[in-house]
Amino acid sequence: MVNLQELQDAVISGNASKAKELTEQALKENVDPVVIVKEWLIPGMGIVGDKFKRNEIYVPEMLIAARAMYAALDVLRPILAQTDMEPVGKVVIGTVKGDLHDIGKNLVKMMLEGAGFEVIDLGIDVAPQKFVDAVKENKPNHVAMSALLTTTMPAMKETIEALKAAGLRDKVKVMIGGAPVTDKYANEIGADGYAPDASSAVDLAKRLLQ
Amino acid sequence: MRLIDIVRQSPRRLVIPLMGYPGARLTNSTIRQNEFNSDLHYRSIYKLVERFDPDAVFFIMDLSVEAGALGLQVRYPLSESATVEHHPVKTLADLEQYEVLDPLFDARIRSYIETMKLMAKNLNIPKGGYVIGPFTLAGLLMGAVEIATATITEPDLVLSVVNFAENIIIRYAKELIRAGADIIAILEPTATFLSPKAFARFSGASVSRIVRFLDAMTILHICGNTTHLIEAMCETGVQGLSLDSVVDFPAVASRVRSDVVLIGNIAPVQVMVNETPDGVKRAVNNLLEAMEPYPNFILSTGCDLPLETPLENIQAFMEAGKAWRLRRADSAA
Repeated sequence: MVNLQELQDAVISGNASKAKELTEQALKENVDPVVIVKEWLIPGMGIVGDKFKRNEIYVPEMLIAARAMYAALDVLRPILAQTDMEPVGKVVIGTVKGDLHDIGKNLVKMMLEGAGFEVIDLGIDVAPQKFVDAVKENKPNHVAMSALLTTTMPAMKETIEALKAAGLRDKVKVMIGGAPVTDKYANEIGADGYAPDASSAVDLAKRLLQ
Repeated sequence: MRLIDIVRQSPRRLVIPLMGYPGARLTNSTIRQNEFNSDLHYRSIYKLVERFDPDAVFFIMDLSVEAGALGLQVRYPLSESATVEHHPVKTLADLEQYEVLDPLFDARIRSYIETMKLMAKNLNIPKGGYVIGPFTLAGLLMGAVEIATATITEPDLVLSVVNFAENIIIRYAKELIRAGADIIAILEPTATFLSPKAFARFSGASVSRIVRFLDAMTILHICGNTTHLIEAMCETGVQGLSLDSVVDFPAVASRVRSDVVLIGNIAPVQVMVNETPDGVKRAVNNLLEAMEPYPNFILSTGCDLPLETPLENIQAFMEAGKAWRLRRADSAA
């Protein structure tokens, strides 16, 4: 009989091949895929996030944990598609216009997915209009923006303005992050929240759903 | 002369904002023009020195120079910093094509060296040049997510790319010193996401070797939150740590060896761009007050200032910094 604790441990330690193997085994033994996701994978990524917040692990360890989570999810996806498991929420995410840095944005995306959110990733160098279009198309709960460069931070404000102009600002919560960004800056530009790291971004996204 | 000696000899706090980009405003030029034209670049820096009278000056912070010299695709916006767009190295074999290149024959590398020559010839304050850090150049070659993952899954590949980067950096830095640079600041932002142990292995060891090769004052500049790396950065043997505004300077200062200079860290956007001159002065005074117990400190900004930084805010920064009276100096007098 498959030991799901071992699956969770494989995700936490970033062992992708073991995570895949154990997930396949669990499915063979008819374990409910929703249980695998909700009771083991999501809490597993929660533990990863907590370790990150406590500086017990760093970005590389988080990335390989996320890779292991995806290895398990890839096995589960075709079956999950047939269930009625709803995502916790929906987030449109991107690195803002002029900024080509994606590691922070990717980490937030991985942690959000690891927490059960559906994430629409617009990539890097995302113009305000592209965020607006994605909000119209996907009707997300949140828009998440990342910037690494001090010179591209103003694009966050431009995007919020563009959402306002399109009449969409009150339809979504806007969360921002990135090395030069602060809570104060989020307030100044009218964002709904700021998160200093990927794990806190998940907490923020959950809080903003309420 | 070491950086700490200059600091100790000064009767007041040294004030050295990282302010390459706003220089372009003083010559009515774009950042891109400065990145390609050494005479213009020099004149932008000269105007900054003439107007603000800093205690040392650096040229424009540009993390794409070395990667561009290797032939990586770089985007050069008119008024923003250049950025590397693609990261082609996935295997050791991919690295081979770059090993035939001598970076010193690259047009933009030459432009920065020429800029330094002009600075050295005409400016009588310490002159600083930037080089990229070895892990950061390796990250541009491989991609940030890829190199982060590879530190765990393929550490030997990462070390090979870092070693390759190290040789490029040493070659360029030595030429900058030959051109007259007194200070070499190594820009290593990508290392910020490493654990202290991984930093020592993938960045610190290489930075140590670079520093030993260079006959100049050396500074390690890392953006972002480097609070967890203070000791590891000190161990590289650099003479100064230039750190970002998110680092709580008074809180980390006691962890910095007394012969290593802590440099920073007024926020470039939140303070230098967004505040009024009075707000800048308040922020400067607060930092100077909090850093009063630590002699090994230079007042600077957390990173290079954005192009749109109000010039009156840079003026306010300089005035507040230079006007500060050190109590230890008063008591000694």
